[in-house]
Amino acid sequence: MTTATLTLEDWRAWQPGRTPLDDRRLSVEERPGATSLPAMLRRRLNGPGRAVCDMLAALDPGADCVLLHASRHGDAARTLEMLYALTEGEPLSPARFGMSVHNAIVGVHSIASGNRRSLQAIAASGAEVSALFSEARGYLAEGEPQLIAVFSDAPVPARFAYHETHSEPASAVALRLGLATTPSAGRPLTSHDADEAMLRDARPPHPSDVIAWLLGEAPLICPTRRLMWILDS
Amino acid sequence: MSPVSNDLELELKHLIIDTLELEDVTPDDIDRDEPLFVEGLGLDSIDALELGLALQKTYGIKLDADSEESRHHFADLKSLAALVEARRVK
Repeated sequence: MTTATLTLEDWRAWQPGRTPLDDRRLSVEERPGATSLPAMLRRRLNGPGRAVCDMLAALDPGADCVLLHASRHGDAARTLEMLYALTEGEPLSPARFGMSVHNAIVGVHSIASGNRRSLQAIAASGAEVSALFSEARGYLAEGEPQLIAVFSDAPVPARFAYHETHSEPASAVALRLGLATTPSAGRPLTSHDADEAMLRDARPPHPSDVIAWLLGEAPLICPTRRLMWILDS
Repeated sequence: MSPVSNDLELELKHLIIDTLELEDVTPDDIDRDEPLFVEGLGLDSIDALELGLALQKTYGIKLDADSEESRHHFADLKSLAALVEARRVK
């Protein structure tokens, strides 16, 4: 088991509605082009799905990295609305059923890009960032030179919004990670215990919080794991 | 069998485009004699299930998903239109 420091080699992010920056790594398009995909594959993806596929194509053009994709709710709109259709005796749409699974987006990306590496889908009840970094350490410790960790989410359907403490518009972020022991030019990324004052105000991190952290605008804290992450320059 | 009207073929083209979310396809892109699946339009097996469901909802036609007969009906737009003409109940 290694204790080597994670490094951030590169990143991409998508957050429609955010003020555009002069930074090609951040997209604020309402509907991502998903030009990395043929139209016949692109048509079934929602906004986050299209953004994730574009970000993966940019960060892993050779399609040979291990991919981790975390999402707290996944495509909740499709999944939960299908349950309503079932209770009303309506037949299920096969295409929507196929795309409602948690690994649907990386699956579509895999078909389009030819990536046959390990593709892992994660949901961690608000601790997605922590889970992504833990899983990344595991793969890197086993000898992967780098990998891509993706985090995307979309709001839950309106009739479930009441159960959400912090509903956020859709956004997505992808990080290419390595280890400080490998000869890479990444920025060291370290985890630390978060102090009580920070934990009091923190909410489970959303992809938009990771984007703010990458841009140096806010700290990144996971209250349920009582951790925070520092990105050195 | 009566000749299938162009109106029905156009209606089916719209049904295919809308049901299967073919975002960059127009009715003119669908040739009545070209294969709908794999080659030609390039639809896949999930599209076949989705189209079967749409035929059931729109025209009341029930098909057996695995039969050779269904394969024939789904070969191209012309065969699909002939099926709807012959078997529609609504």
